[in-house]
Amino acid sequence: MRRSNEPIAWSLFGAGGMLLAFVGPGLIVVTGLLLGVLLADQPASVYESLLRWLSHPLGKLLMLSVVALSLYHTCHRLYHATHDLHLRAPNALMLVLFYGGATVLSGITAVVLWSIGA
Amino acid sequence: MAEPYVKRQPAGWWLKNPAYRRYMLREATALPLFAYTLLLITGVYRLSQGEEAFTQWLVMLRSPWCVTLHVVALAAALLHAWTWLQLVPKILVVHTNRLRVSGTLIKRVHQLGALLGSVGLVVLAWLFLAQGGS
Repeated sequence: MRRSNEPIAWSLFGAGGMLLAFVGPGLIVVTGLLLGVLLADQPASVYESLLRWLSHPLGKLLMLSVVALSLYHTCHRLYHATHDLHLRAPNALMLVLFYGGATVLSGITAVVLWSIGA
Repeated sequence: MAEPYVKRQPAGWWLKNPAYRRYMLREATALPLFAYTLLLITGVYRLSQGEEAFTQWLVMLRSPWCVTLHVVALAAALLHAWTWLQLVPKILVVHTNRLRVSGTLIKRVHQLGALLGSVGLVVLAWLFLAQGGS
């Protein structure tokens, strides 16, 4: 029997699901309410703070974890939703589209994060 | 030989049963959360481009599109958190000869953790950002 990649996909989905359950609502309040409304009058200070945070390796790692695991979590669910909704397409294409998409976007984020403060 | 009869499932199979509708709503939380993650990625990208670009991103956060996305994503994140933690006792079963923990307790501890996680993140971010990142 061929080895399945499902355990890897499910682990990333599970980790992302747990992360989103634990900090997802808070994160949305931070960008929506803190950055969008309450600190809207001091963009320079917010920029300096976030630049300092994302210049630190630990800050980069935290940000990349949030982004990548959220991507794998949501793309896993969306991939299975296409099946539930009977959107028929070659499975290999869908795998590349959803898991490949999550991987490419995570890679781009990693490269961008790497460039900050360098 | 006759072809075997395969009953086709209609694409709207989930519409009539409330449990199936709830399942689809739960799965649908991924869509606004995916869109929100893309917004987060653009924020990181704009930050990497410098102060002016990032300030434009901050201004964009107040656009009707972004406010709507935040409201929908927050509702989705809360529904996701609730349904996700309902499933934790089904996956995490502590049931050995020496130690038995009830599923309800495991669920409650996770719910408390999630509450503290999100509230703690907002408080920490507030302290960090309001002090200019010191």
